[in-house]
Amino acid sequence: MELWRQVFIHGMDIFNILIISYFLIGNGVYTLLMALSLATVWLYNRRMAYQDMDEIRESPVTPPVTIVIPAWNEEQMIVETTKSTLQTDYPELEVVVVDDGSNDGTLARLVEHFQLTKMDLIYRPQIPTRPVLGFYMNPELPNLLVVSKENGGKPDALNVGINICRTPYFCTLDSDSILEKDALLRLMRPVIHSPVNTVASGGIVRVMNGCQIRDGRVMKVALPKSSLERFQVVEYLRSFLFGRTGWDLLGGTLIVSGAFAVFHRETVMEAGGFAHDTVTEDMDLIIQLHHWAALHGRRIRMSFTSDPVCWTECPATLRMLGKQRRRWQLGLCQTLWKHSEMLFNRKYGIVGNFSFPFHLYVEALGAVVEFLGYFMVPLAIIFGMVPALLYLLFVLLSLAYGGLLSIGAVLLEELTYRRYPSYADLAKLLWFAFIENLGYRQLVLYYRFEGVVRFLTGSWHWEKVTHVGVTRQVS
Amino acid sequence: MPFLIENITLVVLALFVLALLGNIFLIGVVFHRRHRRQKFFRRVDAFRERYSPVVAGVLSERLDYPDGLEQLRTIACPDRLTVLERLCLEKKVSPAEEPRLRRLCEDLGLVKIWQQRLMGRVDQASLREALSNPQGLLRRVKILHFLIRSKSAENLGLIRHEASWPLLVKALDDPNPDLQVVAVRSLAAIHHPASFPPLVEQLHKAVVDPAGNLSVRILKSALVSFSLQSAGKLRDSLRHTNPRIRFLATDVIREIVEREALGRPEFRLDSRNFSEEMAEICLTALPFDENPDVRARSAPVIARLADERAASTLLKLLDDSIWFVRLHAARSFAGSRFLQHAVRISKALTDPNWRVREAAVRTLRGFGAPGLDLLTAHFLATSDRYSREQIADEFQRAGLIPALMTRSTETGNGRETAVLRHLAEMGKTSYMIAALENGAGNGKLRTSFLELLGQSPDPQIQQWVEEVAAREADSDVRILAQEALGDIRNQGDD
Repeated sequence: MELWRQVFIHGMDIFNILIISYFLIGNGVYTLLMALSLATVWLYNRRMAYQDMDEIRESPVTPPVTIVIPAWNEEQMIVETTKSTLQTDYPELEVVVVDDGSNDGTLARLVEHFQLTKMDLIYRPQIPTRPVLGFYMNPELPNLLVVSKENGGKPDALNVGINICRTPYFCTLDSDSILEKDALLRLMRPVIHSPVNTVASGGIVRVMNGCQIRDGRVMKVALPKSSLERFQVVEYLRSFLFGRTGWDLLGGTLIVSGAFAVFHRETVMEAGGFAHDTVTEDMDLIIQLHHWAALHGRRIRMSFTSDPVCWTECPATLRMLGKQRRRWQLGLCQTLWKHSEMLFNRKYGIVGNFSFPFHLYVEALGAVVEFLGYFMVPLAIIFGMVPALLYLLFVLLSLAYGGLLSIGAVLLEELTYRRYPSYADLAKLLWFAFIENLGYRQLVLYYRFEGVVRFLTGSWHWEKVTHVGVTRQVS
Repeated sequence: MPFLIENITLVVLALFVLALLGNIFLIGVVFHRRHRRQKFFRRVDAFRERYSPVVAGVLSERLDYPDGLEQLRTIACPDRLTVLERLCLEKKVSPAEEPRLRRLCEDLGLVKIWQQRLMGRVDQASLREALSNPQGLLRRVKILHFLIRSKSAENLGLIRHEASWPLLVKALDDPNPDLQVVAVRSLAAIHHPASFPPLVEQLHKAVVDPAGNLSVRILKSALVSFSLQSAGKLRDSLRHTNPRIRFLATDVIREIVEREALGRPEFRLDSRNFSEEMAEICLTALPFDENPDVRARSAPVIARLADERAASTLLKLLDDSIWFVRLHAARSFAGSRFLQHAVRISKALTDPNWRVREAAVRTLRGFGAPGLDLLTAHFLATSDRYSREQIADEFQRAGLIPALMTRSTETGNGRETAVLRHLAEMGKTSYMIAALENGAGNGKLRTSFLELLGQSPDPQIQQWVEEVAAREADSDVRILAQEALGDIRNQGDD
């Protein structure tokens, strides 16, 4: 009995170290990222005073871009997304919508709205994909091409888009998203200005729920009505405004949201295109590109810019949120596992020595540590190993610190873009940032924990998040 | 001191209180910031409402210039310069208004301030100013001066202030990358001929040292905004020992020429706009350069040369061993000037590279009816599967199928009918079926199609025939479809 008691005590000691180190490393790095992002985004906005978009819009040397929209059962949003994409302000633009074997009216709606005709065009796959079933074009709209193919998953649909695209850069866009008119110009600016080959350029994804949409454009920005969606608004701000900005500044970009990102076509093809063996093909591609560059001794750059905006619909129900977060967590674990040779590998610089270990410990394993912490620490109190007061204070500290980081994200938003013009929305945003750690964080943690469990049990299937069109349409 | 649990508790408590205070502080900053911004924009809006009509009046000459200037000089507020900059520069002006805008900015003293700031003479702000507004902070903190200097360079470019070009050229060598980029852009906006050589020099530097601040794209974008006359100054670059510099120089000339030729199909490079020496280089050196990129990019320039050797030189490039040289050559033949070489161009339809085949198809189609005739003849005669595929692709993309079907109905057994048969044999029937379905009311078209291809083994056609046989309202068409269906079945039984 004494032996078991000793084992338990040692186990708890180890767990306490894990949870304290998780708290310190996680919050320490997040604080660093917040400080870096505050400075970077403030400076970036000042620099915008002399960054004229006309230069990119009017220059004949601005490279043409193809926007690839993979769609599977997206009949609700696909026409709106395609319409908004065709209105994008960019000098030479092509749009390729890849219908990944939808069994709803996705293809029919596109054909009907854009008056497309089925054609038997040549398909020259450089990356192997599932068979293409048909091409749909309207000779009056030569920059739109819709491709119908057998269902093969999002990466397969994206690979079809890459095979078809002729331009040196392509932009991936989720079929439930809407681009701001000048978003692509802004996303391409770092590509054009950089003397180094910029292979990936990501922009910010914002929550569209609650906004007013007209003709494929966000006309009025407002907060959604439900608390679940409001929490996600704060979460997206934190994740994009200071998470990605900070990592970009450190040169440790590991995630560029495939919902809206530009890639260098040739490099992506050389790296093998989007892989099928993870459910987060965007993160996997970014790591694959780092891997490819290190392997071939090539100097590449990835950039994140905080002002090209893509609006997306976030899950409006707990069920859909659960599906989304489980998939994200599963994909994170799969991708880190797949590229585990990068961990503390000097060849990969900041990515291998800092960013990768952080994502592994705090973002992937952290879900397990934090989830178990909610059960293990009370046990430790019961067994008299930790004073109850200290535990209570520690919980309060972690909540207050979490709130500080979320409010920091709202401050960053206020210092820079101020997308939510009303005082009422600002106050609500701050309130939800403050209380995010009371309930919502635990809920998301539960879904993340489930994601890890799915990874460990081999339940690696894609969970489709369906949208209900929660934005207000204005005619 | 012993490490007691009470100490940890105290530390955690202190941290918790700190974090809580931090929350409150940040919330305060957010609201304070929002309040300040709103106040600032209200003030700017008030000035805008009052003085924008004055600026517009001065620029359009509806208002007497001295009166307008006097009114603008009366603006007095802590951020006067920001307000004046916004009033003068926030709207794009027409080319006719540009000289008046320049004069206005000069007379308001803005140009002098911008020039001084560009040179690094930024007036230091007091600590109070620095804390009270972001502009003050920029002026106070020296490492942030590049923001003010870059904005000044941008402003000089926006008003195309010609006299400032030497200052901007000097800024090209500034250590700050932002200032360098803005200087390049402003020089491009002003496009003073004397600033072309320094930009070319920067291009050379960017090629030799790719780790520099300026990207080749930015410099190229600036250089192509200059006039055709300036292109002559690229002579040395065209003869440079570095092949990439030769390529970029050729490409800059190509961009300038293509811009000049935009919307002017008859535009030619002759002694009035292009020196003889440059024309000679284009005809005798560039098409034979060891760098295939140079050869490729020279093709569109050669195509615009008034010289009679242009066509033969382009034809040589069409036989180049490198596919993308042939591609650029094939594209460059576009335009009625080279119609007489259409037969020779049609040889590229069987090029081993699909992009060259595609370019040749498009060039021929661009010739109009004669080109289309050639394409059709080639499509019917060739046994080369790839060039037929390519032409079929173009027929569809260009939306020519419905016209071919109509023409086939009218002419009976003409060339169009043969094209449709070939397309059906190749399985390229989706567009035809779609055209039949869209033109459901056109019985003649359907009848003609059923007679022509009703018995085709193509699955899409068969399915369409079955549907027509079952559901067609027009009894004649339906009977024809049923007969075709019967024939197909009989063929199957045999």
